[in-house]
Amino acid sequence: MPTVNLEIQKKGTMSKAKEKSAKKRVAEEDDDQFPIFDKDIAEKENLEDEDDLSDSDESVFSGLEDSGSDSEEDGEGDEDGDDEDEDCAIISDEILKNDTVAETSAKPTATVKNTSKHQDEKLESAGKKNIKKGKGIVMEDGGEKGLTTTFQGLTTTLPADEYDQDTSDEEDVRNTVGNIPMEWYQDYPHIGYDLDGKKIFKPIRNKDELDEFLDKMENPDYWRTVHDKTTASDIRLSDEQVDLVHRLQKGQFGDASFNEYEPSVDFFTNEVMIHPVTNRPQDKRSFIPSLIEKQKVSKMVHAIKMGWIKPRKPKETTPQYYDLWAKEDPNAILGRHKMHVPAPKMRLPGHEESYNPPPEYLLTEEERLAWEQQDPEDRKLPFLPQKHSCLRAVPAFSRFIHERFERCLDLYLCPRQRKMRVNVNPEDLIPKLPKPKDLQPFPTTMSLVYRGHTSLVRSISASPTGQWLVSGSDDCTVRFWEVNTGRCLKTLEVGGAVKGVAWNPNPAVCLVAVCFESTVLLLNPALGDRLVVGATDQLITSYEPPEEDKEQAVTWALSEGPEHDKGHRLTLTHPKGVKQVVWHGKGDYLSSVMPDNTSNLQVLIHQVSKRRTQNPFRKNKGLVQCVSFHPLRPYFFVATQRCVRVYNLIKQELTKKLTANCKWISSMAIHPGGDNLICGSYDCRLAWFDLDLSTKPYKMLRHHKKALRGVAYHKHYPLFASGADDGSVIVCHGMVYNDLLQNPLIVPVKVLRGHQITHDLGVLDVTFHPTQPWVFSSGADATIRLFT
Amino acid sequence: MSQLQTRFFTENKKYSVDDVPFSIPAASEVQDLSSVINKLLEAKNGSHSQVEFDFLVRGQFLRTSLASHMEAESISTEDVVEIEYVERFTAPQPEECMMHDDWISSVEADSEWILTGSYDKTARIWSLEGKAVMTVAGHTDVVKDVAWVKRENLLNKLKARHCCRGHAGSVDTIATNPTRTKFCSGSWDKMLKIWSAVATEEDEELEEQPNRPRKKQKTEQLGLTRTPLMTLSGHNEAVSSVLWLDGEEVCSASWDHTIRVWDAETGELKTTLTGSKVFNQLSYSPLCQRLASGSTDRHVRLWDPRSKDGSLVLLSLTSHNGWVTAVKWAPSHEHQLVSGSLDNVVKLWDVRSCKAPLYDVSAHEDKVLCVDWTDSGLLLSGGADNKLYTYRYTACESDAGA
Repeated sequence: MPTVNLEIQKKGTMSKAKEKSAKKRVAEEDDDQFPIFDKDIAEKENLEDEDDLSDSDESVFSGLEDSGSDSEEDGEGDEDGDDEDEDCAIISDEILKNDTVAETSAKPTATVKNTSKHQDEKLESAGKKNIKKGKGIVMEDGGEKGLTTTFQGLTTTLPADEYDQDTSDEEDVRNTVGNIPMEWYQDYPHIGYDLDGKKIFKPIRNKDELDEFLDKMENPDYWRTVHDKTTASDIRLSDEQVDLVHRLQKGQFGDASFNEYEPSVDFFTNEVMIHPVTNRPQDKRSFIPSLIEKQKVSKMVHAIKMGWIKPRKPKETTPQYYDLWAKEDPNAILGRHKMHVPAPKMRLPGHEESYNPPPEYLLTEEERLAWEQQDPEDRKLPFLPQKHSCLRAVPAFSRFIHERFERCLDLYLCPRQRKMRVNVNPEDLIPKLPKPKDLQPFPTTMSLVYRGHTSLVRSISASPTGQWLVSGSDDCTVRFWEVNTGRCLKTLEVGGAVKGVAWNPNPAVCLVAVCFESTVLLLNPALGDRLVVGATDQLITSYEPPEEDKEQAVTWALSEGPEHDKGHRLTLTHPKGVKQVVWHGKGDYLSSVMPDNTSNLQVLIHQVSKRRTQNPFRKNKGLVQCVSFHPLRPYFFVATQRCVRVYNLIKQELTKKLTANCKWISSMAIHPGGDNLICGSYDCRLAWFDLDLSTKPYKMLRHHKKALRGVAYHKHYPLFASGADDGSVIVCHGMVYNDLLQNPLIVPVKVLRGHQITHDLGVLDVTFHPTQPWVFSSGADATIRLFT
Repeated sequence: MSQLQTRFFTENKKYSVDDVPFSIPAASEVQDLSSVINKLLEAKNGSHSQVEFDFLVRGQFLRTSLASHMEAESISTEDVVEIEYVERFTAPQPEECMMHDDWISSVEADSEWILTGSYDKTARIWSLEGKAVMTVAGHTDVVKDVAWVKRENLLNKLKARHCCRGHAGSVDTIATNPTRTKFCSGSWDKMLKIWSAVATEEDEELEEQPNRPRKKQKTEQLGLTRTPLMTLSGHNEAVSSVLWLDGEEVCSASWDHTIRVWDAETGELKTTLTGSKVFNQLSYSPLCQRLASGSTDRHVRLWDPRSKDGSLVLLSLTSHNGWVTAVKWAPSHEHQLVSGSLDNVVKLWDVRSCKAPLYDVSAHEDKVLCVDWTDSGLLLSGGADNKLYTYRYTACESDAGA
């Protein structure tokens, strides 16, 4: 309790001052020790009952005449002090000191002067009270004036003394023995020695039990008198000190003026603001240059002066390179590049993240509600797009920490297992087709135009040697052409628009079948070797009619006279209009098609050498479009509108039914190998059937813009062609492999144009040259064109 | 580079200039060079008259400016450029137009007469002036090819001497050997047949008459039927053109994309040259010993029949727009040939400038089917417009002398 000690020492000085004044009053100047001695005596007495501190004060002031009045005054002052406690601590302090007022006149005056008028008045009244209550020894005058005058009258040198005493050094000298057990001096009248070696005597303490009791009874300050062991004197605690003791006992702050409940200054306001700002006052240190820094700087300055710190070496400008991967094994499985797991990419901010997003990104009220009700996991956006007038108004991103955390989680929880992703180049998914350039030869350019017909050319057919070409047209003529010059060698008028022509595939026979209206005409064009021509005529005339004449569906008539000279040989008159004629590969059989949905008499097969005709079908299976013979085996293909039926002619049964997946088949061609078939249809499709594979098309080609009219296979080259109403002929590479496991390779290689579209019709028939990779096409523009 | 060091030389003594290098502008063209040579010749020979020259740099005709030509041919401009000059081949001048009744399938001319075969089933003989001399009738079908065997003593009386039977398909081509004692025919039956062209004893009274060694009228002279001396089989398709390289070798071109050289004595196949297209016609120049072929594409191709390794195209001349139906080497010039095409144009080529022909002769209005030269300076072409055109050309004697 240093404060208390100090106070006690102060007390001591005060009492000393009192003693001094008293001594002067008594007379002698140099007897400094007397008051001390008195004190010592009192101390001495106190030593006997140390606990009884109240006596000491009594003893101290006992020698003083005005002690009584003083104490009375004190009492009064005490009361006053109590009254004024709330007002000001200093005032109470002064009032507490009023007991020493007799000696210290100036100080009270000064203090009183400092106090407010109100206090003055109170003091005045207190002074009056003192006069009234007091025993009337000292003061007649009331108030401070009276007091001061009284003291001035008593002690003249008091102010100077007071300054002398004021030095704190002397106060400390009181206890000269130091911090030793005071019992050691218990039996001595003194405690320690002064500078001159003289004993410092304890205050005389001659109080007995009775005195003690009396003191206890009479002295109102007994309760506040404490015994100071170090000086063995009794000290009467001032009100202030008592107050302090009380406060400490209560666990309060010693300084009464200290307000432990200062109004708090809010660093952060309780209002929610959009910007996170503090109201915290700036630190003092922020205004004061740092001392430590200054020291450091001065040290450095010193060090620089002394040359202890050298200036920094200039940095080398040439960059240094290190080969980080010099020691890395490029083939290591755990190599750096192989195990590199790139961080999952963050989504780039979009328009909705903008501070001023376009209005369509802003959520409407319903959307906002829906968003709020959604589970955060399910939300499409983890935030609400908001619109701000300017970038400055954008608040801090509240989800920032959260989002960073999630990103860290993403990176941390990212699976380190390498998933081998199959990088599929979209081009690899397209089947690798060879380049058309590698599939040569195929026809590429139009070389010859066979002109002469005056109407659309419905059908063409090439001679088996490839030297001639026959064409039938709507202008009721059949023309024979020399292939390599485009020369029309012969023109034959027939009695109607020619629907179909077919050159006998047997090179030993020179016959051309022509169909028009309801007639099939067999012509001998008389082209080629004389022997062959003669043999053909021989073949026809060598017919011997059988014994019993069977009724036949067609009538066979041998041409004679001028018609024979024109080349006509046999006329087969059909009951209905004939649309197509087709030869069997051996050249003896011939089939004609009479499309008619209502009867079973649609397809007839004729044998030329025996002039026989038979109707192979008993039932009508639909409108027959075209028929064809198998090139090698005794099969017969009949194409109706939707499907192609394959009949075995020997067993006389249906072998296969191919569904073309198109609406109306227009034409059909059989691969020379006999296992593949193409169908052209009016709905722009070309269907390739692999007979070994399935009854469904192996491939559908939709490369024509308009209805297909004719399709053809090449006899030797892996080529097929299709002609359509869009005026183009498309040549495709169609390779059939002997290996049954390998599917046919179909590559469109060339679009050949040249025919003009007339009456919405383009190419009507296509056929290949039998030996060269050339294709003929006949068109509605009355021309035949050769593409090579 | 504005000036080039050049040195001019020529094979023709008449126009030779001093062998000194000249510095001439690099941008100069044929006209400028020609005038330079003319100036030099005038200075040398006062009586010199203006002559148009053509210039060859390393065997290629100069067609653009000298600088660009040398850049295209990547010839160094640092050295002295050797430029050969020849008298310019003047454009053939059209002379006669002989109208036929039908397409002209073939033509063969000599110094006196022109023999043409036509689609009207006749062959005709014309004088060089374009006068119809004779019509050879007798065929029952179109005449596809004609050839002279003998032509002395042409009389008005004409009679078929022989009917050579043996082919099983239409005969498209015939050719007589240089001694004119044999001829070879090629047919659609894929065969080549060699026949004797010597008149037999029983025909001696008609010996002096010109002969048409073709399938003849059977009506009156069935007894005069001849059979082939030899049949050469090997082609897979129709034979489209046949010719004699010399007395021993027959060369044939076919639709099976091959040119075959046969030994006419033994009938062996000696060489096969394989092309990629159907051949229409062949021609052989004994001067440069090369074959020229016209095929069913736009190119005239040059072949070396002596090469053993098969398919070797020396050069292809591309300018036509249709099938090349006829080619013929110049009889007296080793570099020149003429070609006719389905695009109605006859082109005159110099193989030293293979990028472009020397002249385009576009007189025909329809397909050109046959071309021929004569030694006497006539160029003939016949086609589907029933016309046989003759053109006169000059300037080949001077060059041929080289």
